[in-house]
Amino acid sequence: MSAEKENNKPADPFEPFRELRDNYLDAMSKVMINAVNSEEYAEASGAMLNGALTMSAPFREAFEKSMLMALQKLSLPSREDVAALAQRFTNMEMRLDDMDAKLDRIVELSSANRAPLAGTEPEAKRPAPAEAKTPNKASTRKG
Amino acid sequence: MAQAGVSYEYWSGVNPRFETFNRLLTTKAAIGQTPKEVVWTLNKAKLYRYIPVVPAEARHPVPLLLVFALMNRPTILDLRPGHSFIEYMVGHGYDVYLLDWGVPGLEDKDLKFDDYVLDYMTRAIRKMKTLSKSEEFSMLGWCIGAILTTIYSALRPDDGLRNLLLLTAPLDFSHRQEITFAHWTDEKYFDVEKVIAALGNIPGEMIDYGAKALKPVENYITNYCRLWDNLDNPRAVESWHAMNTWVRDILPMAGGAYRQLIVDLYRNNRLMKGELIIRGQLVDLKRLRANLLTVIAEADHITPPCQSEPIVSNVSSKDTEVYRVPGGHIGIMAGSSAHKQTWPHIETWLAARSE
Repeated sequence: MSAEKENNKPADPFEPFRELRDNYLDAMSKVMINAVNSEEYAEASGAMLNGALTMSAPFREAFEKSMLMALQKLSLPSREDVAALAQRFTNMEMRLDDMDAKLDRIVELSSANRAPLAGTEPEAKRPAPAEAKTPNKASTRKG
Repeated sequence: MAQAGVSYEYWSGVNPRFETFNRLLTTKAAIGQTPKEVVWTLNKAKLYRYIPVVPAEARHPVPLLLVFALMNRPTILDLRPGHSFIEYMVGHGYDVYLLDWGVPGLEDKDLKFDDYVLDYMTRAIRKMKTLSKSEEFSMLGWCIGAILTTIYSALRPDDGLRNLLLLTAPLDFSHRQEITFAHWTDEKYFDVEKVIAALGNIPGEMIDYGAKALKPVENYITNYCRLWDNLDNPRAVESWHAMNTWVRDILPMAGGAYRQLIVDLYRNNRLMKGELIIRGQLVDLKRLRANLLTVIAEADHITPPCQSEPIVSNVSSKDTEVYRVPGGHIGIMAGSSAHKQTWPHIETWLAARSE
């Protein structure tokens, strides 16, 4: 079936060049991998990034300042204000999550305590009266 | 004459090929399709629980938590139906949870590993344990997710972690000559504080460029030549489209976490040296006792094998295994042979330790 498909496929006039292309790309790949692994590349890319950040800093700061002033004039919150609000929401979420954890724990403990009660045994099988009359700790302390 | 006919046929087929090529580059494939529900959220993070397909009595009782890197979507673990690690594990009876970190905003620029591990992971794990009614769990961390899971496992050894699986884990940074990122981020050339001060969060494009520039010809040229060559193969096209959709969906990384990655790990190797401090606590790898499987990609150019191997001799786990797979950083889990090699090995290893 696949051989039949292969036969029906139109001949690609670029087929003879494909191997040439692949060999070229393989060779280029090795050259480029060596290049990006060199100290020179690390130095050059670091310098480019540093230069871009240094050059853009004054514009960025000026833009941020003017934007902040414009927002203040319009009585609108700045990015920082919104970010601070979002942080407060996250803190509230964490508090809620802590409460959720405590609730889960309470439910777990109460269901564990309820389990023996749910299967309450018949009167005859309850502890002997003497045992049942054992005073609780509070009353012992009082006595 | 016949040659001219053949050529005409070829040329008349070029236009549809260009259309397909264009479609694949400009549209998104449907990825991350395995049915799931959100069971917990905090800030941008979400914990997903995958809908089981195996009856409860046939399922493994120990749930599995997946933790992926911070700067890419975790959908790589659930690439497409029929070729999804998550689908595979759910199908093999695991109660699978996925911690999706989400997209950090400006308000998250100070998030550090400390926060991800002690605020997010701790809470997500508590929720998972409550929902699955299991005191024990397994955890799989991939790439930076492996750093986070390792830190968690060392800080919380008594939290019920039974099995820890690390995929292509960049943990040891001592072999600087073999780690290209270590050259690029050397303090002689790279001013991390200046970058963070200017940008806040590190843009996804910058991280993506870094990953692609490790193999520039493959990523910027060969990748597209291979697609052009395989345009007549629907399976190859579908696979390429899904992978390209994931690759293009890049995320920024919180500035605080990026600083720790560069300064504490790439430059000073503090985790392996036992000097990493997370919110005042020393991360001592000797406290890690869970069963440990570390999966190494032999042709990994992002995390060379030398970064993942030493962990097994630095922990107290009695049950450890190093599994080497031919392939690259992503290919070992999402490549065409992942379902024949990596996934079955992980599943078999985990099944024996999940009863």
